[in-house]
Amino acid sequence: MLMMCLSLGVLPVHAADPVRIGVAEALTGPASQYGIPILNGFLLAADEINSAGGINGQKLLLITEDERGKKEEAINVFKKLIFQEKVLLIFGPTLSNSMFAAGPIANAAHVVAFGTSNTATGITDIGPYLFRSSPMESDVVPATLKAVGAHIPLRRVGIIYGNDDAFTKSGYDVFKSSLQQQQVAIADTETYARGDVDFKAQLTKLKAAQVDAIICPCLAEEGANILIQARAMGLSAPFIGGNGFNSPALIDNAKSAAEGTWVGSPWFDGNAAAENQHFLRAYRQKFHSDPNQFSAQSYDALMMVAQTIKKITFTPQLDKNRELLRAALPMVSFVGATGPFSFRPAPPHQGKPGGYDAHQTPFVYVVRQGKFTLVR
Amino acid sequence: MNWVDWWATYSTLVLSVGVYGMMALSISLTLSCGLLALANAAFMGIGAYVSAIATTTFELPFYPALLLGTLGSTLVALLIGLPVLRLSGVYLAMATLGFGEVVRIILLNLDITGGPLGLNGIPLLTQWWQVLLALLSTVIVLQCLRVSRIGRAFEAIREDETAARLMGISTHPLKLLAFVMGASIAGLAGGLNAHYTFTLSPGNFGFENAVDILTMAVLGGIRGLPGPLLGGAIITLLPEVLRDLQEYRMAANGLILILVVLFLPQGLWDSQRFRGWFKRA
Amino acid sequence: MATMLAQQLLNALSLGSIYALFALGFTLVFGILGVINLSHGGLFMLGAYAALFFLEAHWPAWIALPTAILVTGLIGLLIDLLILKRLRRQQAPHLMPMIATIGTTILMTSLAQGLFGAESRHFPLSFFDNASLTLGSLTLPYAQVVIILIAFGTMIVMGWLLKKTRLGIALQAIAESPRAAALLGIPVERLFHLTSFLAAILGGIAGILVGLSFNAISPFMGQPMLHKGIAAIILGGLGDMRGAVLGGLFLGFAEVLAVTYLSSEYRDAFSFGLLFLVLLWRPQGLFGATHVRSA
Repeated sequence: MLMMCLSLGVLPVHAADPVRIGVAEALTGPASQYGIPILNGFLLAADEINSAGGINGQKLLLITEDERGKKEEAINVFKKLIFQEKVLLIFGPTLSNSMFAAGPIANAAHVVAFGTSNTATGITDIGPYLFRSSPMESDVVPATLKAVGAHIPLRRVGIIYGNDDAFTKSGYDVFKSSLQQQQVAIADTETYARGDVDFKAQLTKLKAAQVDAIICPCLAEEGANILIQARAMGLSAPFIGGNGFNSPALIDNAKSAAEGTWVGSPWFDGNAAAENQHFLRAYRQKFHSDPNQFSAQSYDALMMVAQTIKKITFTPQLDKNRELLRAALPMVSFVGATGPFSFRPAPPHQGKPGGYDAHQTPFVYVVRQGKFTLVR
Repeated sequence: MNWVDWWATYSTLVLSVGVYGMMALSISLTLSCGLLALANAAFMGIGAYVSAIATTTFELPFYPALLLGTLGSTLVALLIGLPVLRLSGVYLAMATLGFGEVVRIILLNLDITGGPLGLNGIPLLTQWWQVLLALLSTVIVLQCLRVSRIGRAFEAIREDETAARLMGISTHPLKLLAFVMGASIAGLAGGLNAHYTFTLSPGNFGFENAVDILTMAVLGGIRGLPGPLLGGAIITLLPEVLRDLQEYRMAANGLILILVVLFLPQGLWDSQRFRGWFKRA
Repeated sequence: MATMLAQQLLNALSLGSIYALFALGFTLVFGILGVINLSHGGLFMLGAYAALFFLEAHWPAWIALPTAILVTGLIGLLIDLLILKRLRRQQAPHLMPMIATIGTTILMTSLAQGLFGAESRHFPLSFFDNASLTLGSLTLPYAQVVIILIAFGTMIVMGWLLKKTRLGIALQAIAESPRAAALLGIPVERLFHLTSFLAAILGGIAGILVGLSFNAISPFMGQPMLHKGIAAIILGGLGDMRGAVLGGLFLGFAEVLAVTYLSSEYRDAFSFGLLFLVLLWRPQGLFGATHVRSA
């Protein structure tokens, strides 16, 4: 009897133990320009959750590890978080290539790996423990092209993309097939390599191709450079970008050269919804800088996980809790800074069950007078 | 932490120490012959890609796939070794770095390699004892080679190639042997690496890795076999050990590299220095 | 078509002149010190960040930019004094300086990232925004004009310094044989320091030019440029100053013409394939002197 009382007495202490969440992002190295904004989104969400009393009285504890955008480090960090830090779930890693390496570790250990920035196809083929809140380009691009086509003629386009990077190459593949479906001719395709700064040779060819628009599934940093150089050499066709263009850095860097650029993306900084306005305000207050899409997506991801955990009654066993979370996550129905969000099960891959992709309606907008302005 | 958790956490790191030990040995073999060849990362990539394509696309069992990967890099080494080994010193270094870039670009542009997306969903097949076995075999073969006539000929070529030739050593075939053997070891290491990291992308085997591998061997010391093994282990473990330094851990990594070079210019494992200690004692 | 070719040749000239400027500093260290200085990319990056730092501190450009160049030169000198000099004195194996410069590159990149962040930055200036000259049907963006003028100006000054002055003749003597030069009473050690300083200055200028004209300053900007620099100095002949400049220009033209007539997809395969062939066929480089100094 005494023993039972003692063990019962222990339980409340257990309940006050923090909920341990792993964050594996690239915090150094080239990929850290995405990893750090992602981490900021998590930090902001964790602050808000904890200052509101945590989840059912439990504080949220983020355990952050740097995976440097390298596959072996991503694997090592995942193992450390799963087996040593005993986390409930892992957010990250930053790059799709790293997820292809680390995802199978989490899947085999029956721990949810939740990507907030991986857009490559095939990520959720890894298995049923894979979740991502970043919509694939194939969900964003067709809508973007349709919306742009309603405003400007799209008969002949040129494309420029980075052909040594998983993100830009996936974007290109999707644009190419959508353009073919919508019967838009591709007059010229140009590529560049990571680290290039001079795009004039490619742009000179695109200029000579006389196209209605230039598709640029690039990241914002290169994108801004491409825009500046295109305008300086008198190439006036409008640019259409994907996910990667959705960053304040595009307008900051390219300034007037960004004018008239079309972007399709799951997050819109001008979205007047209360959730987004709150996020913008809180982020600026905490970090004294503007958030980008990566921070919005990670902020939402932690918020929706917290919402899900609230509904779970945890057991003393970590394995069971991890399974409970995995079972509950697909039911998420959430409205955050990126708008309404739910998961969509990925089709089975080679007879094995897949994970869960993001189901979201993208925003399409255009740069007018130095600001992203919603189309439609 | 109990042993089971420790192994679950660090098994990949242990495998990497073994695989990069093999890589450091592979480059030290060519260095011991006086060849500054920096193509080992590329050969590792060829071995990794060939064996991973064999197990995924063609669904071959692991051992034949490893063999194919090893043979693949061996064959490529034979082909490029013939013309490239006419170069020496820094020219050879640059030509082999250039070759590495060409391999990377080919991997980026082929369909069968998955282009920039790489190969994903590679099955987990590599076991710790297989890595240990491969590493031990490499050490044994290299040790036998060192004490054999071929090993002494390598040393003669390294000290003075012209003199070696005058002494009747046929230098060109021997240099080719060192180069090709180095590539075989790298190809095997690549095949093992591919089957515990689930994914391959062309960037895994570029300039940075070529330089990393060279650093392992030189840092450890190339006068014996323990040196490269030690160097491989240190360069692999350093980023993990320095994790607590967070954003400055790579700065510490660089600093350690500089300090070792400055204060131990023969590398960490220098048998002559050790002998010196015992003499004084 | 003719206009496009003319435009592309102009693009090639501005791209090539940056490669040439970078390669000149890179090859200078190799020619005189016999060291493959893998931190030259790091110095290139440092030049751009130093300029960014002073410009953000609201220094006028005419003070900020020369100061940044000087700072880069001093860091190059510091690397020589603290590391390379020591290794020379120890007569360390010739790979050791190379490994040490890898260490300094990792250190510089990591510090730049810690201090300035990983995202790419741009100068708070807008000299060149979208502006261009028009010559007939040719468009000449100011950025390109400035690059070409400054790069060639710097290279001409360096050429004069190396060919026509006593300093240059002394350096040439060291390049032939440091030991013989020392016997002739040339202060070899001091000239080694000076070479490291000058080479870093050239790297810094190249970094600032790239920063000014392309709006892309990042801690990782040195690595791709280092690859191009290696290609340029092989094409030109290792250690050969004139060759490095020609090699850099040649690489710029090869890349742009590959984009124009082949496809941009094959640009890098083309230039590195070319490099590989050149090495097999003429290891002394396309423009190098006929003798090969064993390294």
